[in-house]
Amino acid sequence: MSLQRRDLRRMRVQEWLLCPLLLMALSLLFSPMHVRAADDPDPVAGVEEEQTGEVAPNPPSFTEKASDEYGNVTEEDAGVEGPRIADPIEPWNRAMYHVNDKLYFWLLKPVARGYKYVVPESFRGLFSNFYQNLKAPVRIVNNLLQWKPRYAGRELARFFINSTIGVGGLRDCATECFGINGRDADFGQTLGKYGVGLGFYIVWPVFGPSSPRDTIGMVADGALTPTTYVGSQQMSPERVGLYAHEKINYTSFHLGDYEALKGAAIDPYVAMRDAYVQYRKKALGQ
Amino acid sequence: MKNWLAGMVLPVLLMFPFVVFAGVPLDTVKANANDVLDTLRDPKLQGEAGKKAKEQRIEAAADKLFDYVELSKRTLGLNWNKFTPEQRKEFVQLFRSILRDAYVEKIASYSDEKVEFTKEVPLSEDTVEVQSMVTSKTWQMPIYYRTIKRDNQWKTYDVVIEGVSLVSNYRTQFREILGNNPPETLLETLRKKGAKR
Repeated sequence: MSLQRRDLRRMRVQEWLLCPLLLMALSLLFSPMHVRAADDPDPVAGVEEEQTGEVAPNPPSFTEKASDEYGNVTEEDAGVEGPRIADPIEPWNRAMYHVNDKLYFWLLKPVARGYKYVVPESFRGLFSNFYQNLKAPVRIVNNLLQWKPRYAGRELARFFINSTIGVGGLRDCATECFGINGRDADFGQTLGKYGVGLGFYIVWPVFGPSSPRDTIGMVADGALTPTTYVGSQQMSPERVGLYAHEKINYTSFHLGDYEALKGAAIDPYVAMRDAYVQYRKKALGQ
Repeated sequence: MKNWLAGMVLPVLLMFPFVVFAGVPLDTVKANANDVLDTLRDPKLQGEAGKKAKEQRIEAAADKLFDYVELSKRTLGLNWNKFTPEQRKEFVQLFRSILRDAYVEKIASYSDEKVEFTKEVPLSEDTVEVQSMVTSKTWQMPIYYRTIKRDNQWKTYDVVIEGVSLVSNYRTQFREILGNNPPETLLETLRKKGAKR
């Protein structure tokens, strides 16, 4: 629920992007190996030692009973390790994870279900476009900061088209009428492109998984989002209401996603943390 | 002129085996995925009555699609070697049923989403990533299937949704458990999880 899928409509890959994409996929595959080697050589070495110690006494049982399919794996077969993140404040994070979990099941989910029942899908789609359009400044500025003027221009064009012909952003006419796709970009990603690492894992109440880098990113992006300036004070009812509505509207399309992720996990907290790290790593490759 | 011709022809010739080699993993994944989609749209299987039959057919398609042993090996990494052959077999079975319980229901809830298989990207000599895009009215979700060639068949060993690898995600979870505990502890955790349903 907390991993925002921002504007996936924009992610359609152009043909000329094929080559960089291939490189990206490859780098994604190989880079974690180096990260792992540098970060944490111990577990692997430990496993190997233990394994030889274990296997040595009775090798026949291993070789006879195990068919080839179930045989030992070498480091190569075992696949690469994924990216990792430090978690020095795990007790706080786990507590906040439970707070957010309860917020979802006790508040957000029932409200979003009722909302989904009452508001027709087409209307919810309009709201979804509206909020997406309001975040155009974030995408324009960050595409520029990431030195992608082409995409910044596209996002600017999208913003103008959708705000005018699209009636204040209610319709995504830029995509539907003109086929102009943009590129999602945020300040956390921009910092990453400039070489700033995630740092460590933080779970914020309400906002969910983050890191020092992405927290700065979230605040900076908030400053570029018009809804932040609605109302006169920090926690004005209008501002909070808008944020809540955006969240409820978004959730109405994604009911069951968080349940699936949580239900599939052995340790849901670790699963969420890992999904966050992988998701943010992917954003850097784009 | 000759150089120019060679320059044109050579790349084309070089591409040829690659093109032939392509296609197969994508077609395999596509056929199995379409099997699932056809099941979802089968008018005979609508409603509560068809739910059970629906889930069974999805599961059968999933068994053709996935190589659960390969999936398990990559999820455990070198920890796999700490397991005895019996424990390995049990792990594969438990992991398979956990994945089934978690995802079959979710997949069965889909109906009007459109799935497009866009392309395949070779990852290594015997592994290929098949890329697909799931589109509904309001969202798009890239799903990549990483496949490996086993006995002349392409089997999926990892699914990457929005950049999040299923295998990596479980690997992180299992690593934390296996860091201070023997394989039996993990198996016990998985047994309990399976029994909960």
